[in-house]
Amino acid sequence: MNFLTVRNLSAGYGKRTILSNVSFSMEKGHILGVLGANGCGKTTLIKCLCGILPHTGECMLLGERLDSLSSRQIAKKCSYIPQRSGIGIEISVLDVVLMGYNPRLRLLEHPDREMKASAMEMLALVGLEGRENDDYLSLSEGQKQLCILARTLVSDADLLLLDEPESALDFRFRYKALAILKQWVGRENKGAVVALHDGALALNYCDELLLLSNGSVLGTVCPKTDPIEKTEEMLSRIYGSITVRKCFDKHGREHLIIIKEGEI
Amino acid sequence: MITLAVISLSVGKYPLSLEKLLAGDEMQRRVFWMLRFSRTIVGVIGGFALGASGFVYQTVFRNPLASPDIIGVSSGASAGAAAGILFLSGTPAVTLSAFLGALIAVILALALSSLDKSGKNSSIVLAGIAVHSLAQTALMALKLTADPERELASIEYWIMGSLNGISGDSVGANLSLCIVCLTVLFLLHRQAVLLSADEGEARMLGVSVGKMRLAVLLTATLTVSAVVSLTGLISFVGLLAPHAARMITKSNRIGTMFLSGCLGGALLCGADILARSAAQTELPVSIFTSLLGAPFLIFLIARRKKTL
Repeated sequence: MNFLTVRNLSAGYGKRTILSNVSFSMEKGHILGVLGANGCGKTTLIKCLCGILPHTGECMLLGERLDSLSSRQIAKKCSYIPQRSGIGIEISVLDVVLMGYNPRLRLLEHPDREMKASAMEMLALVGLEGRENDDYLSLSEGQKQLCILARTLVSDADLLLLDEPESALDFRFRYKALAILKQWVGRENKGAVVALHDGALALNYCDELLLLSNGSVLGTVCPKTDPIEKTEEMLSRIYGSITVRKCFDKHGREHLIIIKEGEI
Repeated sequence: MITLAVISLSVGKYPLSLEKLLAGDEMQRRVFWMLRFSRTIVGVIGGFALGASGFVYQTVFRNPLASPDIIGVSSGASAGAAAGILFLSGTPAVTLSAFLGALIAVILALALSSLDKSGKNSSIVLAGIAVHSLAQTALMALKLTADPERELASIEYWIMGSLNGISGDSVGANLSLCIVCLTVLFLLHRQAVLLSADEGEARMLGVSVGKMRLAVLLTATLTVSAVVSLTGLISFVGLLAPHAARMITKSNRIGTMFLSGCLGGALLCGADILARSAAQTELPVSIFTSLLGAPFLIFLIARRKKTL
């Protein structure tokens, strides 16, 4: 049984169709990267998967239809990082992370000491140690994103859905966030769907890439196993003329790099 | 708040003294229990309720200017009170009529907003504005038919708000409702904070956004209606108290909500003391809530700038 199966997913805003007949599947323990140009439907796909947007077609997680579940049940199974969190009131960083426990708490229950301790651990993991009492609104956009990442990780959902998590992060934290995600998905044997803009991040951290163009699936790429020529050919369909090469860092580890050729 | 409550018990036209009261002077006891005590308790609990529910409105709407007016509570209550003054007699009837007016306004606003299937916060605000204008029109029509000598004056006086002439019977019922609703609001505090995130985000945190928002707003509104129908419109408390509390604690925890209630209680009590002692005649309490509140808010803003 596949971890996540999506069949004939279509969605749109009003009369405008954004996604048409998107189908794909992914295995447990994998990170699926969703790549595509601006406006191709990456965010819409993520929002449909977590049931925020109305859609047709079906999304099955571990054999269960996600659209048949209540928002509380979905929240127990999927956790979502929006491009930008809508939190607009003064609230401490720790309280934001503790929100992640809500699906597992009863209506009037409060997070216990154990939850607070693991929330603190998660904050340390994403590099926000010592900031737990700071006002969330005083953080930089990147730090906010890391805080929301910590909130997502404590929720203990099976499927993580991340909408361009790297957009507000600086060079170092982009890699850090994806590395944390990769480690987490592997260790807990869960899965993540990540909409990404950065091709290099996608090639090095995702097990599989879903390429979207104008709301339809162009194809999938497995950067680790597919021949480099195939990866290059597929990616050039969305990015234009590019070059993908293998290279090694000074410790001898292999990386894939993507170079965009000049275009006017 | 407690100090102000004690002062409030002792200030008034009829001089009271502790010795006479303890000695069992019948007149003193009656003045104390019938007038001062009910007045003070309404000031404290009513102010607390306005402050705490103001906090809830501002959190759920993520809008620092949100207050019960935003969904038409106050104007509904005014129209209800005006109808009560015109067609019914006696203070309890006017209180009940104001309460029903507020309730109808809120139910109408929430029903109108449910017509918009997107379920956004803004649709509630828009529906509130529509209901507010409707209620204002109704109020104007009622004023036109009122007898300018007596009825119009009492409508105007009611709208200005006062803790004067609060009768014992309705105080008990309204304040009990207030306390029940406040308890629910405090229990739902964590959910109210979750509602302050984006719609989709809150849903993915396991909140049934539509139902929970309805429950929280309806409870907050019931609380305000219970107070406003007793006292008439009281400006500024629901807006100022939460801001002041947040500026002091710099957070939105449950303690801040409690502090917001306490500041609301203190403000209303203080304003009421001034309202009955500043001049020969009773003055509307709203004059003093604004007079005390506005400089306090400016002071807090100035202090915040310095610390930045």
